[in-house]
Amino acid sequence: MSTEPPAGAAPAVHLTAITKRFPGVVANSDVNISVRAGTVHALVGENGAGKSTLMKILYGMQQPDEGTIAVNGKPVSFGSPADAIRAGIGMVHQHFMLADNLTVLENVVLGSEPRKGVGLDFAAAHARIKEISDSYGLGVDPDRLVDDLGVGERQRVEILKVLYRGARTLILDEPTAVLVPQEVDELFGNLRDLKAEGLTILFISHKLDEVLSVADDITVMRRGTTVASVSPEDVTARKLAELMVGSALPVPELRESTVTDEAVLSVEGLTLVGADGRTVLNDISFTIHAGEVLGIAGVEGNGQAELVETLMGIRSPTSGTITLSGKDITNESTRHRREAGVGYIPEDRHRQGVLLEATLWENRILGHQTRKPNVRGPLLDRRGAKADTERIVVEYDVRTPGIDVNAAALSGGNQQKLIVGREMSGAPILLIASHPTRGVDVGAQAAIWEHIRRARADHLAVLLISADLDELIGMSDTLSVILRGRLVADHDPATVTPEQLGSAMTGAGRED
Amino acid sequence: MTVGGLAVGLKSTPTRRGKRLSPMVYLIIAVGALVVVSAVRTLSDATDLTSSGTVQAALTAAVPLAMASLAGLWAERAGVVNIGLEGMMVLGTFGAGYAGYQWGPWAGIVGGLLFGVIGGLLHAVATVTFGVDHIISGVAINLLAPGAALFLSKQFFSNAPGGGQKQSPRIEDAQKVTLPGFSSWLGTIENKHWFFVSDLAGVLRGITTEISLLTLLAVVLIAATGWVLWRTPFGLRLRSCGESPAAAESLGVNVYKYKYYAVIASGGFAGLGGAMLAVSSGQFRDGQTGGRGFIGLAAMIFGNWRPGGLATGAGLFGYTDAMALRGSNAVHALLLLLGIALIVVAVLQYRSGQIVLSGVAAAIGVLFGWWYFSSDQVPAELVGAAPYVVTLLVLGLASQRLRPPRFVGEPYRRGQAI
Repeated sequence: MSTEPPAGAAPAVHLTAITKRFPGVVANSDVNISVRAGTVHALVGENGAGKSTLMKILYGMQQPDEGTIAVNGKPVSFGSPADAIRAGIGMVHQHFMLADNLTVLENVVLGSEPRKGVGLDFAAAHARIKEISDSYGLGVDPDRLVDDLGVGERQRVEILKVLYRGARTLILDEPTAVLVPQEVDELFGNLRDLKAEGLTILFISHKLDEVLSVADDITVMRRGTTVASVSPEDVTARKLAELMVGSALPVPELRESTVTDEAVLSVEGLTLVGADGRTVLNDISFTIHAGEVLGIAGVEGNGQAELVETLMGIRSPTSGTITLSGKDITNESTRHRREAGVGYIPEDRHRQGVLLEATLWENRILGHQTRKPNVRGPLLDRRGAKADTERIVVEYDVRTPGIDVNAAALSGGNQQKLIVGREMSGAPILLIASHPTRGVDVGAQAAIWEHIRRARADHLAVLLISADLDELIGMSDTLSVILRGRLVADHDPATVTPEQLGSAMTGAGRED
Repeated sequence: MTVGGLAVGLKSTPTRRGKRLSPMVYLIIAVGALVVVSAVRTLSDATDLTSSGTVQAALTAAVPLAMASLAGLWAERAGVVNIGLEGMMVLGTFGAGYAGYQWGPWAGIVGGLLFGVIGGLLHAVATVTFGVDHIISGVAINLLAPGAALFLSKQFFSNAPGGGQKQSPRIEDAQKVTLPGFSSWLGTIENKHWFFVSDLAGVLRGITTEISLLTLLAVVLIAATGWVLWRTPFGLRLRSCGESPAAAESLGVNVYKYKYYAVIASGGFAGLGGAMLAVSSGQFRDGQTGGRGFIGLAAMIFGNWRPGGLATGAGLFGYTDAMALRGSNAVHALLLLLGIALIVVAVLQYRSGQIVLSGVAAAIGVLFGWWYFSSDQVPAELVGAAPYVVTLLVLGLASQRLRPPRFVGEPYRRGQAI
């Protein structure tokens, strides 16, 4: 990695021995990356591996404690993003930095406006943006309001913003996280165009398939340091993932069957008509036994969210019954259902799972606000809640500086582990898990699977909804497919392949 | 529809990036509105509806409101809610009284502006530097300013010739100009009381006769604000602080600095509004602003945070204010006008699918119509309330599709961009 580059082709960016410490943690230690000019260089690693910190250092938002940065062979030191921009480095943030009520033109020129007298030279700005947009095939119309643009277009505006400022090296922070597959293809097309024009792209991601398809070089980070530099021809996605995790990959699988004949949740003829008169759930019936995981596969928007909300008592069914351990709970409130032993991992942890601006122990109380150890009589038992939060942090390996920090300070995977730990507290008999490992890294994924497996062995009944077909097939005792609000097919997870499941989900392989 | 009618009178919509309505459409709306007003005038025999005197009074009343809403515009475009406008206006009235009686009306204007700037600076320090909730800081200024003004007035005006504990000595009024020749000719036509023609003449005469230089200054400032905020890099940066301070900061815009500029300018405009009020009414008096700061804020919201819109809004409120001054007969005719306007709003809202809103507007409109036809006069006690009732109705029924600055009112701390 520290080999002398050939003359005349100094690396676009060369980071040597970068170390960055924050109080209590070392975010980066001895990081070495060399990015060849005119290439797409991918930086991969798990959440919390230190990728973002490194990019903030490179973009001048933070200063390294040790190490050097060289741009095109010249050592530089960035005190602010403005310095980085001057050195030709631009950043496309994961969360777009755009003002919705301003036009594309206004967003792009903001901060470095062409002037005519004291006024803004709209004509010049317009021409310049059009020129950049055309030469890189970005297809951006300067006069549109950003509010009217889709996600993919907004991202191109962000790229244009960076190019407008003369950047020759672009940092893209998880650019595909917000895109649908078709937009990802378009983005990769744009990136290839940019590369063809001689620009250098530093691409941060943890989606390995995408990295392999677009990158020329790959650097892997783990626990704050660079562990490998590979070329995409030499590795597979699986090998890359193992480099990221540092050990063999976890596989979703259940061991011996623990299914009993004790029915925990029985749903009979559940039907839900939405506010717009559309039938969202249509005559759904199933039973989950103690020690059984029922997986539900389906393309998103086929009634999964509504089914979960109906089971949790957030929506009232139009008809049908829900029975929990022999007791009809169809008309019970959400709180009563939870007190009766239903745990719930919601699909969107930021909307439903945690309060980002509340401490971990306060989050521990949510949903258990009437139960021990969180209450004593009519009052909250802070000490009890804190002690139990400590337990969750230890048992579920929630990596946090303490239980008094806000949930927002945790990475997504650790937030999710906290939620799983909370929902497993109080000895639930049924767990409803909606996308329990969505957006978490490989390590947290393995831990969550292990917890579900262990709870299943302890006679927990689990309803598992996921978009990850490998997870569904590996973790379920029984599999059903939901299509347009109906359960259309049952599959045996021991024999079904993801392809079969996929065609059943789209209705192509209907067999009833 | 009175709104459109007054758009004719104001002609001060400088920065219309008219995507939906062309100037021709505005003209047609204005003419249509004037036809309705003429019809009501003929029907009710309330000549005050379109007399040149009314238009003049409306302009005089509208100017301080326009300045207050311009002040609100500057602050809110940069993301700071300035509910302290009222207080800053009060400071402006005192400043105008103090400087005005000693050194003339223009010194009074400058004095009011400087006092307003003090109020703006206070608000900026609280909200931008210290991150105080904008509403709390504004309310504090509203509580503080009248007390301060009264204290200062006792200090400086008690012993001044013609002054008192609660009022300043007289201030000379600013100069007035008349378009020569044109005015008397229009006056002849106005007095014929022809349908539409006389009304048009009345309105035109109102805006060309005895116009205070302060009014002209206000028109210039509204136009200049539109240009500065929408056509210069300075304005773009300032607005970006109200739309997305994180984006602005990530592009190297000093968000705090531009918020300071904006809020100080806001204080200056509010002070100017207070000063114009004091100068045009001849002296500083305690409690002179009478909630104009708040109405100015309402006019700004009505105007969808745009200079042309807020000028229209200020014109509307100025017009009802003028009607209230003209007395109960004029306000009585206003009932019918308001009823018709509400029915029009109801039809427009119905067509855009707002059934409930449309129903409410129609019901209130019918109520006003019934009130008009079943009575001969509006009780004198209610006449003064007319501008406020109109404010309420306009805000409730017309402000449905607005586009306020995205980050207005949200505290912003440096470094949130990361």
